[in-house]
Amino acid sequence: MRDYDVLVIGGGVVGSAVARELTRYRLKIGVLERESDVCTQTSGRNTGMLHAGFLYKPGTLKAKCAVEGNGEFDRVAKELDVPFRRTGKLIVGFTEEHRRRLLAMIERGRENGVPGMELIDRARMDEIDPSAGGNFAVFCPTSGILDPFLYTIALAENAVHNGADYHLYTNVTGAARLDDGRIVLNTNRGEFSARWVVNSAGLNSAVISEMLGIPGYRIQPIKGEYFVLDKKAGVFAKIPVYPAPTERNTFDTHATPTVDGNVLVGPNSFPVEDGEDYSVSRSGMNGLQESGAKMFRHMKREYYIRTFAGARPKRVDPQTGEIQDFLIERRDEVPGVINLVGIESPGLTSALPIARRAVRLIEEKERLIPNDAFDPVRRGIRRFHEASVSEKRQLVAENPDYGEIICRCETVTRAEILAAIHNPLGVTTVNGIKVRTRASMGRCQGGYCEMRITAMIREELGKAAEDVRLTNGRSFMFTGAVKGGEQA
Amino acid sequence: MKRIFTCVVCPNGCEIEAEYEGNRVLSVAGNLCPKGRDYVTQELVDPRRTIATSVRVTGGTMPLASVRLTKAIPKNRIFDAMREIGRITLEAPISIGDVVIPNLLGLGSDVIVTKNIPKA
Amino acid sequence: MTHVQAIVVGGGPAGLAAALRLREKGIEDILILERETLAGGILRQCIHDGFGLTRFGESLSGPEYAQRFIDRVAQEGIRCVADTTVLDISSDKTVTAVSRKRGLMQFQADAVLLTMGCRERTRGALAVPGTRPSGIYTAGVAQNYINLQNIMVGRETVIMGSGDIGLIMARRLTLEGAHVKGVYEVLPYPSGLPRNIEQCLNDYGIPLYLSHTVTEIRGRERLESVVVAQCDERFEPIAGTEEEIPCDTLILSVGLIPENELSLAAGVALDARTRGAFVDEHCQTNVPGVFAAGNVLHVHDLVDFVSLEAEQMAESAAEYLNAGSLPACCLEVKAGADIGHVIPQRISGTRDFTLSLRVRKPMRNVTLVLAQKDRTVKRVRLRKALPAEMIQLTVRKADLCEDADLEVYVE
Repeated sequence: MRDYDVLVIGGGVVGSAVARELTRYRLKIGVLERESDVCTQTSGRNTGMLHAGFLYKPGTLKAKCAVEGNGEFDRVAKELDVPFRRTGKLIVGFTEEHRRRLLAMIERGRENGVPGMELIDRARMDEIDPSAGGNFAVFCPTSGILDPFLYTIALAENAVHNGADYHLYTNVTGAARLDDGRIVLNTNRGEFSARWVVNSAGLNSAVISEMLGIPGYRIQPIKGEYFVLDKKAGVFAKIPVYPAPTERNTFDTHATPTVDGNVLVGPNSFPVEDGEDYSVSRSGMNGLQESGAKMFRHMKREYYIRTFAGARPKRVDPQTGEIQDFLIERRDEVPGVINLVGIESPGLTSALPIARRAVRLIEEKERLIPNDAFDPVRRGIRRFHEASVSEKRQLVAENPDYGEIICRCETVTRAEILAAIHNPLGVTTVNGIKVRTRASMGRCQGGYCEMRITAMIREELGKAAEDVRLTNGRSFMFTGAVKGGEQA
Repeated sequence: MKRIFTCVVCPNGCEIEAEYEGNRVLSVAGNLCPKGRDYVTQELVDPRRTIATSVRVTGGTMPLASVRLTKAIPKNRIFDAMREIGRITLEAPISIGDVVIPNLLGLGSDVIVTKNIPKA
Repeated sequence: MTHVQAIVVGGGPAGLAAALRLREKGIEDILILERETLAGGILRQCIHDGFGLTRFGESLSGPEYAQRFIDRVAQEGIRCVADTTVLDISSDKTVTAVSRKRGLMQFQADAVLLTMGCRERTRGALAVPGTRPSGIYTAGVAQNYINLQNIMVGRETVIMGSGDIGLIMARRLTLEGAHVKGVYEVLPYPSGLPRNIEQCLNDYGIPLYLSHTVTEIRGRERLESVVVAQCDERFEPIAGTEEEIPCDTLILSVGLIPENELSLAAGVALDARTRGAFVDEHCQTNVPGVFAAGNVLHVHDLVDFVSLEAEQMAESAAEYLNAGSLPACCLEVKAGADIGHVIPQRISGTRDFTLSLRVRKPMRNVTLVLAQKDRTVKRVRLRKALPAEMIQLTVRKADLCEDADLEVYVE
């Protein structure tokens, strides 16, 4: 049995933020992540939006955490070396009904403490982004875009840097309590114990909550499908463009530039039984083509480079089905459990504010001693592509691995791939390399670099071909040698 | 009997309309060159093909050397040929044209290397 | 910054042939930049035979065909710098490249010859519905793993699309012990050459399903099955015709796209039909001194034609380097009825040139017409015209007038 002060179940953006915030104290922290990496589910399957906080009911945790998380993100992005741009956002309307809703939205934003929102006309919209659809819009200056993979990874790596342990492929299957009050978690990789357990299991947060002794919550996964568009479309997209909220105060399909210069079009939104079914549907994609074109005037088939899907774990009232706020709780009758349930959008924006609230709940019960060695700074992998010509010359001169281009579409070098293969979390999958470097995220989708990356994984980690995995479980890439003997 | 053959002799891939009785070709139409008629005759009597595959290489800069046959072999012996070639392991260096198996399975065709592989 | 007379971007079949012809035409200062360790481009992994029938009169494998050019480039002492990736080409012909050995390099070229080849269309570009398991490869990637790296990609295989590389891989996988369950082509006719249908599919009893496509991919980790369905004339799946096929591997052979990212950086204008550059009869792009040939210009069916086109380009490039400019090409070549695309898109009307084209649909016993205004320049009778096959014609200056655009159409 491995013993910790705190065990965090789920290494998504929230779990990793909790782990990172806990390393500010002298605690032994373990993160149990079921998957092969920290951002394979909800945390990596979203728009990558830093929300401003105008959509949520005043006084809710969603409103408070979003505004708080938004306000501090320039510092956070710098501290953790996460690609981030404060682009602002357009929420566009076509009809008088839309105008009415947008005005109400400005009012709600004001109540929530979102600065600078204003209604603008088409002429102003054209100055900001001519590619945006709509006749008028609300401009919200504080919204931004970030790389959700790298943000989650950065939080996790910073937690590891400050002493936390990550256990990948570790699935919690049961919980029990020892006589001294400590909690034991049974997993496929043996038992773990801790004084505190934080449930940040996302889509499975209701299941884990019940396992830990707090039944009665219900998670309704809401699935959304997306298109990723080529950077050739990205040159047109200046700012995230959202439609006026629906009657139910949610957003339909939007078009958002990414920090890397692509465009995301999506999501549609529909309830599903199985939140981990990430398949995309023909009807869904056809619908997105249509609804996306209303937001982004350059939505064309020739720009498609990929599709993906994600699911937001919405906490709903088990009786009425009504959508609930984030749940952040500690119950006296179930000591040692911090429950984070129904963390959906704006969870990415809210991850650190939620984490601080979780830490405070622990602090209310025991004195936390500051970790003097805590280092909030994390450095990401230096990207060749983003360097100037003279910096590039310097990089190659210092490290020849920067002179070997592995991914031609995104100009990712051997040096970057090597750094990703030897990542602090011990992730060994092909997708793990991809999200850390962008290799194979370009228009050829790995046609050139995937074979080089799999060769490097084999070489660096001493793996046989049949042991190389794309992502989780049995996602093996190869069945063995063609002719026996050596592989290249 | 009438049948349409797709000639595989060259990239033209002529569609040849052939009339035949048993193994005897009565007429051909649609072929751009005389090889078409020979092809149809061969197809009726004894269809033949070449194959290309790889053999293992040790001590080289690459793990496989590509190989091909110098002459077509009967179609129904292709998998026998693959088995035979699969037994071979070469040692670098090797050069284009090196004969890996002379007279493969007694079929009158050699297996030759089609790639230069220097020592690692 | 180093000055170079002619930079050839890419040492595949087009680049090698172009460099050799430049040398023959007296150009001394030539530099081939090749990103791989070995020159030869895609031919290195095309181990099947059938290459060189037109050029050498014998059926060679891809590596043998390439080696003949590589050896001559070496004999001629033409510089070919390998392991070097070109990062940027500017419109003033500054070429920026990088390699581990030489670091970041910048060259000022008098002429740039674009010979970067093409890439494969992906699942993402088609938005094939379903999950994202492992076991999905484009045909060229599978070919690389199997023929160069000694790595087998799977056992139970379905092939989507009937492009030539997919057909070649159907045979290759079968020979190496995999089971190819079928080739599914959304069009009502094959995309690959008839001889490849015959010798890669029919010879091995692999079924080809026309007007069929993969409508869903299933499996969360490794691929478990695909759903295929018949398609209507608008390529939409017909409800009720779906069939689930268990498999662990899906090979995509759904088209090739000229690799023009560097061309765009140089300011080269692209033709939406070929997805390659607009060129004149000298293979010169809209940027003076920047030329393109081979698969980067338009996707070819045979490498022999790639070599030929690259040589023609090199002759023009040599003329450009020696004379400082080339004759203006003011006449447009238009793709008319049933013509998919034409190369070149502009001509002078004062010289012989080679016209390359593809038709839009399979046709039999048709007449191809070249006309300037109401004047017929040339008529060619074709027994068959297939989209899979590139058609090439030599057009004589004697047949052309100098003051009207040229239209190409099927009568």
